[in-house]
Amino acid sequence: MHARPGTPKAARHTEEGAVAQLFDELRVLEVARNVSGPFAGKLFADYGADVLKVEPPSGDPSRHRGPFKDDIPNPETSALFLHLNTNKRSVTLDLEQEEGREIFRRLAEDADIVIEDFRPGQMDAWGIGYEVLSRDHPNLVMASITPFGQDGPWRDYKGSEITLQAMGGPLHVNGAPHREPIKSGGEVAHYHAGVATAFACIMARFRVEMGGVGDHIDQAVYEAQAGFRDRRTVYLTGASYTGFAAHRQAAGARVANGVRPALDGFVNIYAGGTKHFIPFLDVIERPDLKEHPDARKPLHEYSPAFATEVEAAWTSWLAGTPKQEAVELTQAIGLLGGAILATNDLLADPHYRGRGMWETIDHPVAGRAEYAGRQLILSETPRQQARHAPLLGAHNAEVYCNGLGYTREELGRLRAQGVI
Amino acid sequence: MTTDGTNTGRPLPLEGIRIAEVTVVWAGPHVTQLLAEWGADVIRVEPVNKIQPYSRGGERVTSQEVAIAAAAAGQLTSAYPDLDPGVDPWNRSSAFNAHARNKRSMACDITSPEGREAFLKLLTEVDVLIENNVPETIERANLTWDVVKEVNPRLIMVRMPAYGLSGPYKNYRGFGTHVEGMIGHHLLRSYPDESPEHTGDAFTADALAGVMGAFAIVSAIRSRTRTGLGQQIEMPLAESFMPILGEYLLDFTMNGRVTEPQGNRHISHAPHGIYPTEGHDQWIAIDVATDEEWQALCRVLGAEALATDARFMTATRRHRDSVDLDHALADYTRPRDKEALFHELQAAGVCAAPVHNELEALQSQHLNARGFFETVDMEGVGPRIYPGIMTHWKHTPNHIRTPPARLGEHNREIYIDLLGYSEAEYQALIDKGLVGDTYPESVVPRHWLR
Repeated sequence: MHARPGTPKAARHTEEGAVAQLFDELRVLEVARNVSGPFAGKLFADYGADVLKVEPPSGDPSRHRGPFKDDIPNPETSALFLHLNTNKRSVTLDLEQEEGREIFRRLAEDADIVIEDFRPGQMDAWGIGYEVLSRDHPNLVMASITPFGQDGPWRDYKGSEITLQAMGGPLHVNGAPHREPIKSGGEVAHYHAGVATAFACIMARFRVEMGGVGDHIDQAVYEAQAGFRDRRTVYLTGASYTGFAAHRQAAGARVANGVRPALDGFVNIYAGGTKHFIPFLDVIERPDLKEHPDARKPLHEYSPAFATEVEAAWTSWLAGTPKQEAVELTQAIGLLGGAILATNDLLADPHYRGRGMWETIDHPVAGRAEYAGRQLILSETPRQQARHAPLLGAHNAEVYCNGLGYTREELGRLRAQGVI
Repeated sequence: MTTDGTNTGRPLPLEGIRIAEVTVVWAGPHVTQLLAEWGADVIRVEPVNKIQPYSRGGERVTSQEVAIAAAAAGQLTSAYPDLDPGVDPWNRSSAFNAHARNKRSMACDITSPEGREAFLKLLTEVDVLIENNVPETIERANLTWDVVKEVNPRLIMVRMPAYGLSGPYKNYRGFGTHVEGMIGHHLLRSYPDESPEHTGDAFTADALAGVMGAFAIVSAIRSRTRTGLGQQIEMPLAESFMPILGEYLLDFTMNGRVTEPQGNRHISHAPHGIYPTEGHDQWIAIDVATDEEWQALCRVLGAEALATDARFMTATRRHRDSVDLDHALADYTRPRDKEALFHELQAAGVCAAPVHNELEALQSQHLNARGFFETVDMEGVGPRIYPGIMTHWKHTPNHIRTPPARLGEHNREIYIDLLGYSEAEYQALIDKGLVGDTYPESVVPRHWLR
């Protein structure tokens, strides 16, 4: 087995008898930018893998994207970068230069998994594509994330979060019928493609460890959206079955169902027509409505007059009730529902805080902040306290000198030539 | 068919892994869909003496008329082939059949003594148990990790309730759309200039949790080969989604800023949005990052007035005046055909894509060229097109192997071949109504009966 480049074992594995982590002895080389590839890398890094992030000398573009700490642009304080790159090591490397590519080939020799997101054909053109890297390393698992995949008529088209949601995902059913549809929040299509990539990578690595060989994984964000369980696969199946497409639904179309204003915000509670509708009428202090002949019917059998009365009763009660109290009272009788929370609500919420959802991380430039923490609670291989996202090229000396054997002088030359 | 040898490719990575699922609704079944696609033997454990709500579909569909009205109104959550619920709607729902391919179905009521016995036997034969019920359901069934690990210490047990196995919301009930509110996603994706009442439902957390759960399971299986240990993985829907909000959460904890509803806005790109095109409810997404792309967009649209408008000369100005920009741009996109404009813009180096509903997506030239859609012939449903597998592996070709599992379709092979029940024992379970391939009339909603 090769020694890990620049990874003195003692530094990685804290002390004798340390609790195992999920990805102990897994080495990932991440040469990917922005969200999808780095999120795949983060999933490995956060649960114990050694993830080496290869950045161009100018850094991952997400370092240059806001929001920044105190709104002062700084490649070390981008919230997106800080979040997506916890627990990783960073080296800089210019893949436009042959010497940079030679170094990359050496790094890949020691990697179990390589994750890249350049346009189709770019890695091959640089001589660092799957065919080259796997020639003497058949166990290599390599994942390539692109908007449209490695082949197909649109493979060279540009794609971004909003355009890939628009064509691949359920964007057309988001929002209201009286105006333009809206995208899902943030970079969710790219996060989703990132998890799908991590899933494929760990399956392929598992196959290697069980005696098989590696593979080249082709993850199109467009296809991940077409396979998105957020309505898309269900509605594609429905359209295939019926010849109908889904539409955006108007607000308030379903009686006492959906988002409505509460005293201090909004709730989304599913009450009308449910089996808990009778006790619900007690909660909203309208027991008189229980005697109405429609009260026990399914929603679509409500008469217009009853529908209007129920909706008025519900919304007027809700208008005087705090959102969380309305949720608590309706949950108590078995209704499905929730409040509409904002980021400040989330951070203050006793449930999430009490469960340890937030993790405090100190960063030498960005300072101390709370981050979204673990998503998995593992009974035998618990996740450990996260290390902050690396400063740009923070591990150059460790990786290139200790790992690959470059001298300090050579390192200075590489830096002077802009290779690193 | 499963690939083998060198002629057709390398073997599927999860061959030999067996999984029991006690999952409901959307997120849990998606985890096992993904694992089954890559070779795992997934056994869906489901009662036939009672109906699992919202799992095999149909609750809202009281007649064929209602099915037709729902589809015509664009509600496709539980749609039936040719809008006909048939005599067995539980085998015909789009919501269920979208995930149930490659799985096996075993009739078993884990809350009955006989069902529990069979289920505990099954647990000795599987690598993974996954469930996504309200926590109190599993506690009442006495099937928590403390109990099942005694049965099979090498088991990986996944629990994915909405909010977790502890805390004030532990037993809160909700669909994906309700979880969306509680994790901040509903507000984030709302229109900036409209009440969140107009945002509409989404099930994004279900989708993320599905893939995250599949990733966690394979990771734990791999880890088990090194440590020898099974384990419990707790993965609440809400918490598996939080990383998607990472930069917004940090913006609050670093800067104290509460993220406002974003709609189609981007942090720096403009124009960035969904613009009208020719026809009713037809739209194109356009995302301009640079001044060069802006000039190219104006050229394709013949919008010389915009190209030279001082308000829109730089990215900073376009972003600042994005409301005016969007209105001005819409006048140029409105008469255009979205498909033609898409290709013209891409040829000019502008990132754009038409908004595609499902019928259009089924026709996508690119998805079809890549073989994404597959035709599967399910008994009683007939050959239909389904969305296929969302990741391609160069040396491991992969296709849907078996049609969606009908209720109780694999009872015999599981009880007798896998669990070793005798014919007489198996027959006794059938006689008691615990094993079968249909629901008894006494539990079937009135409207499901023909």
